[in-house]
Amino acid sequence: MTNKYYEFFCPVKVIAGKAALEHIPFELTGLAAKRPMIVTDKGVRAAGLLDPVIAACEESGLEIVSIYDDVPPDSSTTVVRDIATVYRKEKCDSIIAVGGGSAIDTGKAVNILVSEGGDDIAKYSGAGILKHPLKPFFVVPTTAGTGSEVTSVAVITDEKKGVKLPFTSSFLLPNAAIIDPRMTLTLPPHITAATAMDAMTHAVEAFTCMAKNPLSDAYATAAIKKVSQSLLSVMDNPKDENGRLELAQASTMAGIAFSNSMVGLVHSLGHATGAICHLPHGLCMSLYLPYVLEFNIESIREPLGELLLYLEGPEVYSATPAARRAEASISAIRKLRDALHKRCELPRTLKETGKVLESQLEAIAEMALDDGSIMFNPREVTKEDALSVLRRAWA
Amino acid sequence: MLVKRLQPMISHARRSYVELMFQVMGRALQAISEVDEQTRNETRALPEGFLFEMQVMPNGPKLIVEHTGDGKLHFHGDSAPRPVDLSIQFKHMAHAFLVLSFQEKTSVAFANDRMLVDGDVSYAVRMTRVLNRLESFILPKLVAQRAVKEYPANLHLPEKLISGARIYLKVATNFVETVRA
Repeated sequence: MTNKYYEFFCPVKVIAGKAALEHIPFELTGLAAKRPMIVTDKGVRAAGLLDPVIAACEESGLEIVSIYDDVPPDSSTTVVRDIATVYRKEKCDSIIAVGGGSAIDTGKAVNILVSEGGDDIAKYSGAGILKHPLKPFFVVPTTAGTGSEVTSVAVITDEKKGVKLPFTSSFLLPNAAIIDPRMTLTLPPHITAATAMDAMTHAVEAFTCMAKNPLSDAYATAAIKKVSQSLLSVMDNPKDENGRLELAQASTMAGIAFSNSMVGLVHSLGHATGAICHLPHGLCMSLYLPYVLEFNIESIREPLGELLLYLEGPEVYSATPAARRAEASISAIRKLRDALHKRCELPRTLKETGKVLESQLEAIAEMALDDGSIMFNPREVTKEDALSVLRRAWA
Repeated sequence: MLVKRLQPMISHARRSYVELMFQVMGRALQAISEVDEQTRNETRALPEGFLFEMQVMPNGPKLIVEHTGDGKLHFHGDSAPRPVDLSIQFKHMAHAFLVLSFQEKTSVAFANDRMLVDGDVSYAVRMTRVLNRLESFILPKLVAQRAVKEYPANLHLPEKLISGARIYLKVATNFVETVRA
């Protein structure tokens, strides 16, 4: 009998497509919520992305009671406490997070405080602390990459202690994720490219790492196909609503995949590089993906070879001998990175970023070894292994 | 019918085996931290007084070790002197048995959601590396290959035999001391 076993969980209602935002009032009413608060950041507001959300609610007679638009890129316990105070003062009864990873994580953390009570979010840090469902919570992503709208994790910085607090609970999952192509139409090219490569990496690692399972595989391959087919056309024609929707859906699907099968060494290195060199997460993912796949190749030859079908299409897949498909998949990813570099100069090596010193590689390798995602990498990774991947990614 | 009658005995045997393995592993963790510099390099990063627990949920067997400083670990048996800092918990006795009888690698058990981590994940990753190193030392290579993700390529027979023997000797001594006490 096989020892194989897996778990898969995603109760988030996905509301996706044209005029998706206009479903928010109906969905909120269905949860008996009448006084929503929006949690977002200044960039989202300045880009005018709140206007269609507010208009959609007002048209249905649903008043947005409060808007907090000062979420910083790295949200903190103080910000969470401040927002919870406003929420209580204004007697709100639900939260709509509009933005990228930080706004969404902040929304999740605020929901803990306003549902469970108190002012100290740190005491809810960890796994499995929450035992009850929280207040109605909707997420409207404005980037197509993080997949935070379908993950049960939030990370908030504790400023006093200088540490990042993780929160893990299935109760953090939003009631609904609203995927509307209008929300990503104005994303600048380099952010479009980096976030799409973030989604691509989520999907590739979900499909090739140790906790892969049949259900996450289905989401991962669909996400890879969508990114491969739509990313370059969106880069060439940023106002392509259909292409934008494809990328946004790919991000959500990749999020569902990796939140159920975890990720590996690309993320371990990416988290460490982000912490030490302050490089954006999506860029790190794009940068490390081919080098880590090369490192893992003998352990993942079969699944990686399968991905060629979704990366390059049936013609290339069938014309490539089975024994060469894994290498061809890596080449396809390299080709995509070259095309992105040509269009928006998305760096392909650490040197090209101009923000990493060669002397920092050792510190990155050491930090990566302690990252939780390294547990799920198909190969054991020593410090020397991590350093050799980093040296290959250097230039 | 026979299986039904044997089930309580099987459950009891499984529990006894897991309890025994935790007793051996706890002592072996203390021993490897005394004989292996690479292990101490890993455990030095833990705060002094750090308490690590492995447990079977909800109230099953457990092992508790403490970092007493300079990378040295001390086995506390199954009772902690204060709340633990990091706990790795098997969801069921059957899952603990799969891992401790080397039918499922620790890394695969994590991937299969057999275990939960309560505490700092980076310390859990570090302690998993220590457990893997311990298994590589004290188990025959063929068995160790079933227990760890990758058997360390740089662990050669002389080092394995000498360190393994020293760990077993310390475990045996500790058992005897416990019985005398």
